[in-house]
Amino acid sequence: MADNTIKVALIGNPNTGKTSVFNALTGLKQQVGNYPGITVERKQGTCLLPMGFKATVLDLPGTYSLNASSIDENVVIELLMNRNDKDFPDVVVLVTDVENLKRNLLLFTQIKDLEIPVILCVNMIDRMQLKGITLDIPYLEKELKTRIAPVSTRKNLGIEHLKKLIVEYNQLSTEPCLNASSIDPAYFDGLRRAFPNQLLYKLWLVITQDVNFSHLNKNFLDTHNFAKPNPELKRMQQKETIKRYQFINDVLKVGKITDTSKARDLRSRIDRVLMHRVWGYVIFAMLLLLIFQSIFDWSSYPMDWIDGGFAWLSAWVSEHMAPGTFTDLLSQGIIPGIGGIVIFIPQIAFLFLFISILEESGYMSRVVFLMDKVMRRFGLSGKSVVPLVSGTACAIPAIMATRNIENWKERLITILVTPFMTCSARLPVYAIIISLIIPKQRVLGIFNTQGLTLMALYLLGFLAAILSAYVLNKVMKLKARSFFVVEMPNYKLPLGRNVAINVVEKTKAFVTGAGKIILAISVILWFLASYGPADTFGKAEQIVAAQVARGTVAAEAAESAVASYKLENSYIGIAGKTIEPVIAPLGYDWKIGIAVLSSFAAREVFVGTLATIYSVGGDADNEEPIRAKMAAERRPDGSKVFTTATGVSLLVFYAFAMQCASTLAITKKETNSWKWPLFQLVFMSAIAYVSALLVYEIWK
Amino acid sequence: MMTTQDLLAFAALALAVGYLVWKFFLRKRKKKGKDCGPDCGC
Repeated sequence: MADNTIKVALIGNPNTGKTSVFNALTGLKQQVGNYPGITVERKQGTCLLPMGFKATVLDLPGTYSLNASSIDENVVIELLMNRNDKDFPDVVVLVTDVENLKRNLLLFTQIKDLEIPVILCVNMIDRMQLKGITLDIPYLEKELKTRIAPVSTRKNLGIEHLKKLIVEYNQLSTEPCLNASSIDPAYFDGLRRAFPNQLLYKLWLVITQDVNFSHLNKNFLDTHNFAKPNPELKRMQQKETIKRYQFINDVLKVGKITDTSKARDLRSRIDRVLMHRVWGYVIFAMLLLLIFQSIFDWSSYPMDWIDGGFAWLSAWVSEHMAPGTFTDLLSQGIIPGIGGIVIFIPQIAFLFLFISILEESGYMSRVVFLMDKVMRRFGLSGKSVVPLVSGTACAIPAIMATRNIENWKERLITILVTPFMTCSARLPVYAIIISLIIPKQRVLGIFNTQGLTLMALYLLGFLAAILSAYVLNKVMKLKARSFFVVEMPNYKLPLGRNVAINVVEKTKAFVTGAGKIILAISVILWFLASYGPADTFGKAEQIVAAQVARGTVAAEAAESAVASYKLENSYIGIAGKTIEPVIAPLGYDWKIGIAVLSSFAAREVFVGTLATIYSVGGDADNEEPIRAKMAAERRPDGSKVFTTATGVSLLVFYAFAMQCASTLAITKKETNSWKWPLFQLVFMSAIAYVSALLVYEIWK
Repeated sequence: MMTTQDLLAFAALALAVGYLVWKFFLRKRKKKGKDCGPDCGC
């Protein structure tokens, strides 16, 4: 401080009203320029303070933390790290928004730990009553070891008090909020011994930043053996953030009370309904029901066109191309295989359309909060909700999303149970079986039975996940609990562009990711179904001709008898017959068995496999769509293959079985052991087999 | 005697088998370490 002039730096998260505070303090006495060498805007102004003091106020770019990830943030860190900078502040005014105090305080605690005097300016206090918020200022001042200035720039409240606190900045405590050594006591002890005159937290910031600051470089770390590999540093940074949030949570639990029943704004009124302890769940269930209804009702038209279109294309290729192996491969293997993928684009697109709208509107965060209460009863962390909800799209990103669960056992349980959630790959399997065994009827005039069944399957997957978590939790004896922080975004109308991009990306990922595997498997299956041992497969025509001569097969049915004899004696037929004793108790014939077996690579292969098998086994120019072929499929005794009992048994099997090679690979990667993916495979498949067996035995 | 149709069909088979082998056994996964959570084991 010189000549009664105090240097003030205004720092805060974006959108906290920092510039409004700056304007309120400086009025028209502002200068706008750039920081030297970079295009980041620099605003400085002067402010008259009580008792003849004056302040130069620097409005720094908005930043969430002192972990530099942009040039804007670098500007803030560089200034706070360099006490020799001509702009180094005598006091920092940290501007926060009363509604997002928790997130804003992360930056506050970091600056406090640099032992710089900080005044906490809580902005937008005019909204407190509207939001039902009460602040215990003396308590917060004591716990945060600072002075607080509640202000409302909109109503021009509290600015004079803030000016008075700036004048009294000398009386502010510079005691840190977090003891930096608690991040890693041994490491920090070493740092303290090597640099006894340096501030520990400042050293830590230099070590963890990805950039070299203009006046500081990291070479000193190498000379003292303090350099650590990046993943290790990231882990320590995460630990630091968790410790800070634990501190902030404890302080705000007492210092900031939000009574939503007193809040009067629109968002709070909507929240009161959507997050109600009864209505919240009812509304969520109704929304899910609406989504599943729409998936079946709206997508049935494009699906019928696609199905018919591919069947026509197969017939056209076999009629118009020169006869031969490749033509057969195209018409019976590749085209039905591609059709088996393309047909589900409408349903997957509708599912992601609804999920994107729910996410974009801000409702999904409410669901996460709502479900947290349920989760805890089953021993899962609130943070497990995010992977489980993501699991309805795909288990792979969902398992990767468990990385923010700090407690290893909670994370492991979440990884193990996430594949029970109904991912989009199960949708094609469910869709085709439901359409075969559940008649399309209206319930109460609005609900459709097929949509209700699909919703029941989603619930079954969720129940399997949380019940397994409960059992694993008991077996693994969890002790520690992690805390749950979720920020409720404001409600907003979803942006059409964002929703469209999400739908296109997710659908494209399904078609190009799973699609290539399905196509490759379809080609291989076609070969396996079209070739067989010479003594049986190779003599199919003679054998059937002999049967016709004996009168056991009608002459007009000879062609299809040859096709089915060949299929039964092809390599795939032999494999199917071999596994038949294992799958027969579940109600499956050898053809379904092949489809189940091949879908252990990826679930959606099921439909493509059946499409290929039935195309090879049927007439070459049969234009019937795959669903009609499945419905017409008969056992040797003439009974239908796809009865209700077989269908339900298949649905249950697919709901529980671990049939995704990529998920097993990601589990191995995340747990760094083959033990857990193997456990997942055996545990889930055993549940699937036993449940499908029970269901079939009861239903048949 | 192999016809063009047979050759094309077997080329498609080789491509399909090759793709699956590459996808599940040979493809190099992204190097571990970046953005890992605590205790992820890498």
